[in-house]
Amino acid sequence: MTSLTAFRSRPARAARRRGSAVTPPWLFAAPALVVYAIVVLYPAVSGVVYAFTDWSGIGADGSFVGLANFATLFGDEQAMGSIGNTLLLTLAIVVVQNGIGLLLALGVNVKLRSRALLRVIFFAPVVVSPVMVAFLWKYIYNPDPSAGLNGLLGLHVDWLGDPSVALWSIAGMVVWQNAGYSMVIFLAGLEGVPRELHEAAMIDGAGTWQRFRYVTWPLLAPALTINLMLSTIGGLKLFDQVFAATNGGPGYATETLSTVLYKQAFVFGKYGYSTAIALVLALFVAAVSLVQIYYTRRREVTA
Amino acid sequence: MTDLLHQARLSRGQFLRVMGGLAAATLATACSTRPETTATTGGAAATELKFIGVADQKTPMDELAAAYQKAKPTVRLTTSYAPTDQVQTSLRTQLGAGNAPDLHVVYPGNGSAMSMTQIAQAGLLADLSAQSWTQTIPTGFKPAFQLDGKTYLYSAGSSVIGAVYNKKVFERAGIDAPPTTWTEFLAVCDKLKKAGVVPIALGAQTPWVTQLITYALVPSTVYAKDPAFDDKQLAGQATFAGSGWRQAMEMYLELQKRGYFNDKPNGTTFEQQTSMVATGKAGMAVQVSAVLPDFRKAAASPDDLSMFPVPGADDANSVWIPAGVVVGLGAGAKGKNAEEAKAFIDFLGRQENINAWAKAIAAIPLTQDASSSIDPAVQSFLPFTKDRAVPFMDQRWPNAEVQPVHFAVVQELLGGDSTIDEALKKMDEAYRK
Repeated sequence: MTSLTAFRSRPARAARRRGSAVTPPWLFAAPALVVYAIVVLYPAVSGVVYAFTDWSGIGADGSFVGLANFATLFGDEQAMGSIGNTLLLTLAIVVVQNGIGLLLALGVNVKLRSRALLRVIFFAPVVVSPVMVAFLWKYIYNPDPSAGLNGLLGLHVDWLGDPSVALWSIAGMVVWQNAGYSMVIFLAGLEGVPRELHEAAMIDGAGTWQRFRYVTWPLLAPALTINLMLSTIGGLKLFDQVFAATNGGPGYATETLSTVLYKQAFVFGKYGYSTAIALVLALFVAAVSLVQIYYTRRREVTA
Repeated sequence: MTDLLHQARLSRGQFLRVMGGLAAATLATACSTRPETTATTGGAAATELKFIGVADQKTPMDELAAAYQKAKPTVRLTTSYAPTDQVQTSLRTQLGAGNAPDLHVVYPGNGSAMSMTQIAQAGLLADLSAQSWTQTIPTGFKPAFQLDGKTYLYSAGSSVIGAVYNKKVFERAGIDAPPTTWTEFLAVCDKLKKAGVVPIALGAQTPWVTQLITYALVPSTVYAKDPAFDDKQLAGQATFAGSGWRQAMEMYLELQKRGYFNDKPNGTTFEQQTSMVATGKAGMAVQVSAVLPDFRKAAASPDDLSMFPVPGADDANSVWIPAGVVVGLGAGAKGKNAEEAKAFIDFLGRQENINAWAKAIAAIPLTQDASSSIDPAVQSFLPFTKDRAVPFMDQRWPNAEVQPVHFAVVQELLGGDSTIDEALKKMDEAYRK
């Protein structure tokens, strides 16, 4: 429901957030933090131990193997290949999803009779379970030239079966699902752009493009920060859609770090090794996000 | 113009109505997939047994659980089912955490994370050796049921891999009898192709489907020549690369090269494959007999479909077939209801119940009596089952990695991304892990 709240945020509130007028007491967050700590933090941290063992998932806890799992990881061709796939997928999703999200936001921000309806339609895929989306898209991606997307576009593409296309097909369905989410955040940002600035710019003779470039775009920076971060994290840990659509195939063409760690644990029974991959993934995501926040925050300005 | 830039927020009523509608729809779906509970006869149940199985087990298990309820009203069975992948995940986690159900699905032999050998080695399966039905397990099937001479698995019988074919399509293409040699098989494919239908539907986008053609051929190219291949391979004296596996892969790719598969098999799913054969767009599909009910459901008339063994050799007498023990179940070794759970398995081991289970999934019953019925579609496999049949290959593989590697290399080969040498090398590497 964060999206709904973000939607209603006003310029005044946005300004206050960055100023230091009122700091909400931490006490309000305490109940949520306690639940979060018990359900997420504690199990995650207590699981780290397994990264240094050869535990099989059933039976005894396995024995301590030191850093052997990490050594295996860096020599594991398949896991290393999956890092490349993960990065490409993330890059594609971040760029295209936010690009489309921004265009949609600008589009439904103008006065149209059907504006409200369009917003709902664009946002609707977000609330569908990612696994359901993947199953639906498997029908859309039918390789038969007379069916699905091929039939619609008159193409003959093996969307999920061609190793050089499959990764982009997955990116496509992720973007379809999440562009509406980016749109909502950009819309909230657009609401924070004061009307007076646009009026002043118009008086100065600025055209539509110039007003976007010099008024709207700089003020959208906070929304962009959030969108980039959320889509980067989402892309790096992408699992559901890949698992349901291709299970990493054809061959290993769409294997991501998440699907590799899933398979190591639940298919091969190597929980220790899988935990080591998970740990590396978590640190990697944290590092990338922190660097990204640092740089995108620097270009934020206030109205 | 400025008004255009500053506008009202999204119509919240509308937004919430859509969200509400979607939530209701999700809830309705969730409810319909809730685990099912077998009918109970009131408050008399003293023991509640929990069973978790895979979707293929639902029909026979529900039927036999209801029968057990009648025979023994003090025990109530609660059953739930999930697709194979999900069961692998959730059940193994439950086993690891020590809260396993009383009865659960177990795969025969070795080679997967939920297989008899892997779980029994961890000491999590109850020993069933004292039950009388275990005395009559056919010798060839013992490795699937037993570890170190003790029986840990119940399974109602075996299924075979062969070609599921559409009789009407074969008739229209002028094919009077199923092929019995590889040359005849290729000729049949050619006739089908000339008749304008896809000879073999292949849904290689669904990982487990990729292995079936190799599995159908390997008994003839490997085991017919060397029945002890598995033992030699385990002892490190034989490899995939240096065996008839190479020939089987070559034959697999020959079918593709001659254009006998549907276009783009790597993008085609099991469901699409099923429908192609059932609706007559394709002549046949190499499949496991356990999915015959799926093909029949999709066909206009279930009688249109039958099966024949895929002949993997040019001499009809050296054609062997894959016949594997079907997915079964075991009892947890440590649960407080372990004795009741074993009693239920003993009930499943009665001949009439073996017959009932086998019938529901078109399998060949583990042991047969006068009342056993064998699905007419698999009749043509019976002459082979005695001494020209081998279990599905993965059931003797030493770890859970070889099978997924096999899936992946077949997809790579079909996609033209790899060579047979590379593929077999990867499988050998996984085998040695």
